[in-house]
Amino acid sequence: MNLEPGLAHYLVVSAALFALGLLGLITRRNAVQALMGVELMLNSANINLVAFNRFGTGGIDGQVFGTFVIVVAAAEVAVALALVLTLYRARRTPNLDAATSLRG
Amino acid sequence: MDALLESLARSLPEVIVCLGLLLVVVLDAAGGSARRAIPSLSILTLLLALGAAFRDGGAPVATWSGMLAADPLSTLLRSLVLLGALLVLLAFDLGRSRELKGLGLGEFHALVLAVTFACLLLAGANDLVMVYLALEMVSIPSYVLVAYLKRDPRSNEAALKYLLFGAASSGAMLYGLSFVYGLAGTTSIPGVSAALAGGLPAASTFGLWLSALLVFAGFGFKVAAVPFHFWCPDAYEGAPTPVAAFLSVVPKTAGFAVMLRFCYEALSLQRGGPLALVEIVDWPQVLMWISVATMTLGNVAALTQTNMKRLLAYSSIAHAGYVMMGVVAMSEDGGRGVLVYLFTYVLMNLGAFGVVAAIHGADGTFDLRDYAGLHRRQPLLALAMAVFLLSLMGLPPFVGFFGKFYVFAAVIAHGPEYYWYAAVGAVNAAVAAYYYFRVMRAMVVDVEAAETPAMAVGGREALALAALAAFNLLPTLAWGRVDEWTRAAMVLLPR
Repeated sequence: MNLEPGLAHYLVVSAALFALGLLGLITRRNAVQALMGVELMLNSANINLVAFNRFGTGGIDGQVFGTFVIVVAAAEVAVALALVLTLYRARRTPNLDAATSLRG
Repeated sequence: MDALLESLARSLPEVIVCLGLLLVVVLDAAGGSARRAIPSLSILTLLLALGAAFRDGGAPVATWSGMLAADPLSTLLRSLVLLGALLVLLAFDLGRSRELKGLGLGEFHALVLAVTFACLLLAGANDLVMVYLALEMVSIPSYVLVAYLKRDPRSNEAALKYLLFGAASSGAMLYGLSFVYGLAGTTSIPGVSAALAGGLPAASTFGLWLSALLVFAGFGFKVAAVPFHFWCPDAYEGAPTPVAAFLSVVPKTAGFAVMLRFCYEALSLQRGGPLALVEIVDWPQVLMWISVATMTLGNVAALTQTNMKRLLAYSSIAHAGYVMMGVVAMSEDGGRGVLVYLFTYVLMNLGAFGVVAAIHGADGTFDLRDYAGLHRRQPLLALAMAVFLLSLMGLPPFVGFFGKFYVFAAVIAHGPEYYWYAAVGAVNAAVAAYYYFRVMRAMVVDVEAAETPAMAVGGREALALAALAAFNLLPTLAWGRVDEWTRAAMVLLPR
């Protein structure tokens, strides 16, 4: 029995992570938990990039791409947490349901 | 070394904006009287960069090891981005704005320059890594700009919604890009086209189709296309008016730039002649449905709005639908339609937002009902608004007409199978005329004389609005030059 993981295994894991991340982002009421969903989505793409690089034609394009994604994710979450903090200060709750003054 | 120097020379606008941005940050940190120089400095920066972008006329090359493309298309798009940013800083008197009172303007200018810089990169992006990076570099400072009114919970709420939608759609786009990379084996956009030209195994075709769909989620978010438009009205309403105006033209231009390049260069085959589809990925079909939904929903939702910022937000969604017609046409004429439309859109939309900001500056209201009697209180302002609205409607002789003319002509030229699509666009333009006329009617409704004190408009705002109104008419007189300008930019070169 061959236990060596192949490309398909990585793609299945990343697809599961992506689905979980999207689900978390859509269903979570807590802003911080929703942001964790975003992180899962980005990391699923990272797994893809590195796996395609490993099993692909060579070069380091995918790895470089993945590194940039990690950096961007850090920058994005810094801004996001600052916004959540402002939400908390204004409404005393980190719940996204509280932010409903803009409609129409 | 030579390649590096050439890249630097061809990226002169980016270099100038980047240096200006750093200088603004330093001056802001220095504090005191140095801060007063910031507004003039950022305007000067954008002027210099615009001059540099106009002058760039070298042979089309890929710079920075293939990351960016310096070709006539990116030159024109970079000029449009810089023009939009420059007009925003000139037309809005930030120091006198009611909304921005008491908030530092140094960071504001720094953030505007940061978004502009990222938009320049996006306009020339020639590699999937650059597409993703530049798109995020546009988004992240934009979130901060929307949240700029830190004491206003609505501004915070708008930014949070914008961020969550942005994060979801850019995450989806990244997932799609990772599959495009996996299938093509390269991240370079011309490389993707070349790899797809070689054909794919049958099992991968569905994957490619799906990943193209995911990539469109990211582009759709940037240009506020249905179903990724939900953030748009909320973000425009919560954000300071100059920010809403800025977001409605500059990142949108860059978003269409990257959409045009991805569709025409990565997903199409160019063998010197007309564009041909990569087999299997029928993206024009997908984009056409998105475009139909975008213009219809934007126009229908705008009908009932009473807040001017929301009304303009839905109108900008509808306009994104028209611009997409040019992309769907998949021809050089279609691409030119996109460029002409974006050029005219910068002039007319900034003008409309400028009037909204001027009225808010004087009266502190965004409500359409409070526009009553404007033709008596400030006739010239009402006249300027009428010019911008007629231009947005697409009536000749205003420039807005040309944008619509080019995209509709490109779609009709594509063949009878798109006639119904052009008809849907035409019906939409008629629906849009209704709510633009509604704004005009609101302005000329008579109210009691006692309620009509003259409205004070700042000298600089008045000058900027008069200039913008003139720009909505003047290009008509020399349309041949604009036509030539876009024709030169849209020559798709076989690589």
